Amino acid sequence: MDLLANLAHGFGVALSFTNVTFALVGALIGTAIGVLPGIGPVATISLLLPITFGQPATTAIIMLAGIYYGAQYGGSTTAILLNLPGEISSVVTTLEGYKMARNGRAGAALATAALASFFAGTVATVVVAGSGPLLTSVALSFGPADYFSLMLLGLIISAVLAQGSVTKAIGMVTLGVALGLVGTDVQTGQQRFTFGVPELSDGISFVALAMGMFGIAEIILNLERPEARSVLKTKVGSLWLTKEEFHRAIPSVLRGTAVGTVLGILPGGGASLSSFGSYMMERKVSKGRHLFGTGAIEGVAGPESANNAAAQTSFIPLLTLGIPSNAVMALMVGALIIQGIQPGPRMVEAQPDLFWGLICSMWIGNVMLLVINLPMIGMWVKLLQVPYKFLYPAILVFCSIGAYSVNNNVFDVYTTVVFSIVGYIFNKLKMEPAPLLIGFVLGPMMEEHLRRAMLLSRGDATVFIERPISASMLAIGAIALLAMVLPNLRKGKEAAMAG
Amino acid sequence: MKLNAKDLASGALLILIAAVGLWLNEDHALGSARRMGPGYMPMLVFWILMGLGVLVVVLSLFSGPDPLQRWTGLESGMLVLAVVVGTAAWWISPLFGSFFESTYNGVGFGMLVGLLVMCWAAGWRLIGYINAAMCAFSLLLEKGGLMIALIATIFICALAEPEHRQRPLGVLGVTIFLLALCWWVFIKQLDIRVAVWPNQY
Repeated sequence: MDLLANLAHGFGVALSFTNVTFALVGALIGTAIGVLPGIGPVATISLLLPITFGQPATTAIIMLAGIYYGAQYGGSTTAILLNLPGEISSVVTTLEGYKMARNGRAGAALATAALASFFAGTVATVVVAGSGPLLTSVALSFGPADYFSLMLLGLIISAVLAQGSVTKAIGMVTLGVALGLVGTDVQTGQQRFTFGVPELSDGISFVALAMGMFGIAEIILNLERPEARSVLKTKVGSLWLTKEEFHRAIPSVLRGTAVGTVLGILPGGGASLSSFGSYMMERKVSKGRHLFGTGAIEGVAGPESANNAAAQTSFIPLLTLGIPSNAVMALMVGALIIQGIQPGPRMVEAQPDLFWGLICSMWIGNVMLLVINLPMIGMWVKLLQVPYKFLYPAILVFCSIGAYSVNNNVFDVYTTVVFSIVGYIFNKLKMEPAPLLIGFVLGPMMEEHLRRAMLLSRGDATVFIERPISASMLAIGAIALLAMVLPNLRKGKEAAMAG
Repeated sequence: MKLNAKDLASGALLILIAAVGLWLNEDHALGSARRMGPGYMPMLVFWILMGLGVLVVVLSLFSGPDPLQRWTGLESGMLVLAVVVGTAAWWISPLFGSFFESTYNGVGFGMLVGLLVMCWAAGWRLIGYINAAMCAFSLLLEKGGLMIALIATIFICALAEPEHRQRPLGVLGVTIFLLALCWWVFIKQLDIRVAVWPNQY
């Protein structure tokens, strides 16, 4: 039983004092930002990236992962109690969850959300542990051409699933790849697009780009909108579910977990897409579908299990193939690369501590989150009384110090300023920054694989369609693109995104 | 006419970036498809970007209407003035001391001045003050130390929120809290190499 031995090893790593502490810190921060509207996991992780440099890679990733899935727990609290989604992934929870709270079943809704998330998290942990090594052995047979096509597929799907116009999203991905070109060419050592600035020879700072576009630009956009924060009027009430509620919730949790697990693995998928998907499904197939709109427990149980399952399975493509499936995973790639670890199929063997430690810590983190969320719910609700006007100076100050501390150079702070202005303009033009970040991370790897593939094939580009793996990746990508041209499917996507 | 002005501007922006990229890429050897030089991948990427930009522009003619936010005369005027004054401030900054001759301090000073000029127009206040706060942080950090830099940053970014100006006591509280928090996290726990007080190093 290799798996058991590996898991035992993983628990050994994850249960060390430092790692437990940082899993807890991650889970706490995650819950906090999940509860607070206006600050999401992408912004938080990018502003905490510099803090993780001093830690070992495993500890750093464990903490950052905790923030991501912790945010899925916290997001549901505000959605249920205040009809205010703390995260995009809990938008659909407001629909039924808040109705339940109005019916006096707020406690039951919160308990359902937390227990559903916990169940889904546990299943997803097992899926990651089981499929990781399997996928890795497949990935090791990949040649450079296959990798290139796989990354291309990842980029296409992340653009197809992005909000708004697909053409613009592909444009943003390409722009991200272009920004990734800045710096020293790995093979010839030539400086590209650096304008003679020595600080740019290592490329545009990943931290500065992410912080500017997601951290600072978001502050400006949040301040532009008038703050709409209602006061808690509903009482939480009993956390216990009635027997009937319990029976209704179980099938939804199972379906939600399945939807989330699958959609999380997809490139471009992740927590938000899964919760939408699960909500649509529950509204169509669940036994209580006629109760939707009046506070149906299925509408809480399904999406909440789906978003947490997806938050965890979206680590699979990252850990096995080195390919980020969404913006949060792109940040994880950044964190790994800064730590000197090249994400990819060799990571499972070369970094067993990281791989198995992370998986086990996810489960430990889920246990902690259950404790953090259910009995201490009152504390998190209190957190909502901190108005954004007191919050944003803190975010700004952390970004400034964080950007500086990456290289101990103020150049990175100025870069952050530039990207915050760029990010603001992008938002005004409805250009999605998330695909850009994925393109930026994957771009340099794609160039390397493209060069290697073409060198091996002696300049013959047909290698990409001759190799079966590569050809099928490209075919899937082409189908995904074609599907978006068909008007019916595009309407379906718009409907799904609108919730 | 169903013009989507936002898409039109996005497409134009992509085309512009692609054109500049291709022009800059003239310096790099292309190599061959078999042995790609440093210029090969950029060439591919920027041509694709150009094509996508054109596609976005073409599609924008039919997918609207989605108009851009209108700038007031004051906002456009202040934007131009900010660029002019900011550039001028960068140019003359070495006159204020050798500090501005080195590395990026001159550029940062120009950015700070430009951003503050922008704040004259109400519509630019948020983006202006928030980013000016970060520029002030960078300018003050190495000479003035972390504490001075933080106080300036918090003060400038607080100007962005009108409520803070009416009740400045809250800002004072935030400042004291953040100074303590940053000292504990970054100096005590993470020990980043930075001066805490003026002229410490």
